[in-house]
Amino acid sequence: MRAEPSNPLEFARTRPIEGGEIMSDAERSTDERESSERSRDAGEFEPIQVFPEAEEMDLRPGADDCYKCSTCDTNCPVAEVDDEFPGPKFQGPEQWRLKRKDDHDVDESVMKCSNCMRCDSTCPSEVPLSQMHNTARGEYVEQNMSKFSREYLRNRILANYRRLAPLAAAFPRTANVVMGLSITRWLGEKTLGITSEREFPEFATETFREWWAKRNGSNVSNPDKRVAYFHGCYANYNTPEVAKALVRVYERFGYEIVVPEQHCSGTPMFANGMLEDARRSAETNVRELASAIDDGADVVASCSSCSMSIRQEYPELFDVDGTGDVAANTWDAVEYLRVHEDLESALEGTSVGPEFDEFAYHAPCHARNQGLDGQTLEVLDVVEGVDVTDVGDSCSGISGTYGWKEENYETSMKIGEEMFEHMSEAGAAAGLTECPTCSMQMEHGTGYEITHTLEVLEAALVGPNAATEST
Amino acid sequence: MATETDVLVLGGGSTGCGIARDLAMRGLEVTLVERYNLTDGTTGRMHGLLHSGGRYAVSDRESATECIEENEILRNIAGHCVEMTGGLFVKRPEDSDSYFREKLEGCRECGIPARALSGREAREREPYLAEDVSRAIEVPDGAVDPFRLCVANALDAEAHGARIETHAEVVDLLREGADVYGVRVRHDSGPGRRNHGTSGSTEEITAEYVVNATGAWAGQIAAMADLEVEVRPSKGVMTIMNVRQVDTVINRCRPKGDADIIVPHETTAILGTTDEEVTDPDDYPEAEWEVDTMIDTLSELVPILSEARTLRSFWGVRPLYEPPERGTADPTDITRDFFLLDHDERDGVSGLVSIVGGKFTTYRAMAEEISDFVCGKLGVRAACPTAEEPLPGSENLERLEDGMDDFGLRSPIARRSKQRLGSRSRAVLETDEPNPVICPCEGVTRAEVRDAIAQSGSDLNAVRIRTRASMGNCQGGFCCGPMANELHPDYDEVTVRRALDELFEERWKGQRHALWGEQLSQAMLNYALHATTMNRDRDPASADPSDPEADAASLEYAAFDAGEGR
Ligand SMILES: Cc1cc2nc3c(=O)[nH]c(=O)nc-3n(C[C@H](O)[C@H](O)[C@H](O)COP(=O)(O)OP(=O)(O)OC[C@H]3O[C@@H](n4cnc5c(N)ncnc54)[C@H](O)[C@@H]3O)c2cc1C
Ligand code: SF4
Ligand code: SF4
Repeated sequence: MRAEPSNPLEFARTRPIEGGEIMSDAERSTDERESSERSRDAGEFEPIQVFPEAEEMDLRPGADDCYKCSTCDTNCPVAEVDDEFPGPKFQGPEQWRLKRKDDHDVDESVMKCSNCMRCDSTCPSEVPLSQMHNTARGEYVEQNMSKFSREYLRNRILANYRRLAPLAAAFPRTANVVMGLSITRWLGEKTLGITSEREFPEFATETFREWWAKRNGSNVSNPDKRVAYFHGCYANYNTPEVAKALVRVYERFGYEIVVPEQHCSGTPMFANGMLEDARRSAETNVRELASAIDDGADVVASCSSCSMSIRQEYPELFDVDGTGDVAANTWDAVEYLRVHEDLESALEGTSVGPEFDEFAYHAPCHARNQGLDGQTLEVLDVVEGVDVTDVGDSCSGISGTYGWKEENYETSMKIGEEMFEHMSEAGAAAGLTECPTCSMQMEHGTGYEITHTLEVLEAALVGPNAATEST
Repeated sequence: MATETDVLVLGGGSTGCGIARDLAMRGLEVTLVERYNLTDGTTGRMHGLLHSGGRYAVSDRESATECIEENEILRNIAGHCVEMTGGLFVKRPEDSDSYFREKLEGCRECGIPARALSGREAREREPYLAEDVSRAIEVPDGAVDPFRLCVANALDAEAHGARIETHAEVVDLLREGADVYGVRVRHDSGPGRRNHGTSGSTEEITAEYVVNATGAWAGQIAAMADLEVEVRPSKGVMTIMNVRQVDTVINRCRPKGDADIIVPHETTAILGTTDEEVTDPDDYPEAEWEVDTMIDTLSELVPILSEARTLRSFWGVRPLYEPPERGTADPTDITRDFFLLDHDERDGVSGLVSIVGGKFTTYRAMAEEISDFVCGKLGVRAACPTAEEPLPGSENLERLEDGMDDFGLRSPIARRSKQRLGSRSRAVLETDEPNPVICPCEGVTRAEVRDAIAQSGSDLNAVRIRTRASMGNCQGGFCCGPMANELHPDYDEVTVRRALDELFEERWKGQRHALWGEQLSQAMLNYALHATTMNRDRDPASADPSDPEADAASLEYAAFDAGEGR
């Protein structure tokens, strides 16, 4: 049984999560924001205009950095396979430069961008491409997409997977059966435009947060070494084994882990132009993570898109108080251990059992953008019993919700082709990555079972017995 | 070769083109000659501000009143060349309060709609305005594209039977005794639409009456008939920013000064300007510090300008004039009004009138007055229709706004194209052929480029001013080639190469004053691109066409290996 929470952190850590509560929280936070703005306005002599809504942001000056070299276009996986897609150079700097303040006719092709953010990291001139795309997409959805259209509805559902997941998680077995039914999938395509080619991810019978609550939170208490874990939706609802691996690995290094209340990181919402939904999520996340940071924690995430979103997209798109601080103190979970612990030495001489063998590793685009694409190979190199082959720098093609859309399915598979090929050439029979949707695509394209790097680290550092703790 | 016409107009700037249209519409036979392209003089080197009159509301109320009247007329007859951005006179803490009040009163007295705004209201409208801008006056300033406006006047004149001859330099005024009866022009490449290659043929054009509308060059023309016109050319610098930092014209609210206006112009913002007398309108110093000072000064109003990318800088010369007896020392004090010099009355030489001074904004009113005068001389009685008759491209603009057709183009490109072409959009953009974008920076498609070529022949600079192609951030690096490509096969290779060189050179000229930061990177990339893809650092094909062997031989082909092995 839980003890009465003695401080807010404790409270957050042990608080049972239900979908309904999270939603009401979101609404509360919006009200709070508004009332605090009001009081700020009243207190000042001349109220400066509040930060514009993301979709009203003027990014034209960002076009100054573009000298049109087209490097972004040649690196865009969508442009490579889809001749109709004009590419990031047009999408970003060109389109913005052609805009006048009151123009809202963003070209519809912006919905074809998968938000893989490769263009961002390849641009030699620091053009804020994905910020431009995200903002333009937000504007497009706001101005041009009918709120009653099937596409809008479908995108909103996909973007807000977080809100549906709790339902499914409440009845995981039923959900899995229903989602798996071919009639459901066919209906999904016909009524919502969600491709029937893909299988819905399975929901775990126990979410990570349920497990965490049962376990009574962290086994370690250590005010000097504290991390706040941002698990995101997928590790909570679908792959709690990844989240548990993180917990055990971090505890092995003596960290106290807190699991703050959290919303979807926003990644799928950006990609669908649902900036208002994303803003609401960001408000909750920033507030909760900032308070954890105040209590001495650093933030770690196991999903590369979640860490990307908190580190780059929040500060680019939102002016929520504390965003900069949270962004500066958020890490990828493996990266954090490499920097703060001597992870490589700790792994020296470790080995894993026969359950792991050879892996075809795909570095997710969002890990690449954070400069982390070489990390997994380097780290696992010293572990006895695993052999990791990098499948190259192609994009997996699914890019979150992108590949779920009926109209994108083919493009998505075309983009993924190179990766599938390299995976089968790698001679491994299993895949490894850090991104949930990449792993869906890898599995879908090759039939391999896909593992998260943290699971391998767990096996190496904590051993297989750990998994028996409680699953 | 000799040709005859009723009225001969010298100079293809706004004044000349305006007069040509006006007279042609009144039924006269008109020929206009211009030594280079239309707008090559001051008209193509101005700030692009469609004055509301606010600027003159304190110092010169007559001009102010005329401005607001013409401002309203141009919105109607040339809607597709005008963007009603609105304007703000912004006041910084150190600027005088009493001048601010005088400005506001002046505007009201001249019939210029004006409204005072708080600093916060001004910033709400233009978020990049400096924090310490304390007040502002809102006026109906606008942005005007001098190129398309001038071309539209010339097109309409042609439609009314006029002959518009570009690349035809006046080399002599024909005078017999006390009568000027025509001019001798030298054709750069033969009469008609430019075809590159110096033909050097001359033509005598005789006329009942000659109108010297050569602006800052009016003195030189008058001298050809031994007449004296004391033009006092005064130069001003302008700098083009890569993007629009503001969407409203920003004026500094103080009596007079350099570098006090920012005009949002198409995709860019133009900073200006200065005022300094020069001796020769074709040869005056262009100094880097003029650009630097201007950016610094205007950054006081819009701080991000100091960090922003500039595309190019250019100078223009005002054709200022004042009667010799006035002797004003400071060029900023010389009136901006225009003068009609009747050489008959003034010098006893008939058949010629010279026009000097004036403003772009009031070009139509000027043209009307001058045309009335010419008609008086020729005994013609016809009313002036130019205040009501829309220019080609501006007919029924309201209806165009309703039509949402995007001609298969991506939305921002369709929007920009339609804004440039106005009511001609459908005629130009509707095509069964593929219509790719030729200039991605400005969103100009092949159809629009071809339409311009149909108007102006092989001159790509003429295509540029009609379409804006090559006027964006790569300054022609990526689009000059594809533009030239559109000339082929109607024009032969030598002509196409000349046209390409000319355009590229022109684009380079203005960039010389922007070679730092991003535009320097751009120039480097353009250079590398042209050198590696077109061999333009050393192109045998661009050598003397009469002796292609010579240059090709100088390329050491032997230095290349056979392409095998390592
Ligand atoms: C820096 C600056 C900024 C300005 N900004 C504004 C503004 O914002 N708003 C505004 O309303 N006004 C502005 N003006 C004023 C305006 O630009 C001019 O008043 C107007 O353009 C003058 O036009 P024009 O036709 O008289 O002269 P020009 O445009 O100079 O036309 C004269 C033409 O004669 C041609 N020519 C010369 N010699 C010969 C020859 N021998 N044979 C044949 N042709 C010849 C030239 O090539 C030229 O094209 C500005 C002026 C300057 C200098
Ligand atoms: S890579 Fe960067 S500089 Fe090059 S075209 Fe793309 S946005 Fe512009
Ligand atoms: S985010 Fe990815 S898909 Fe979108 S434009 Fe950039 S590279 Fe292309």
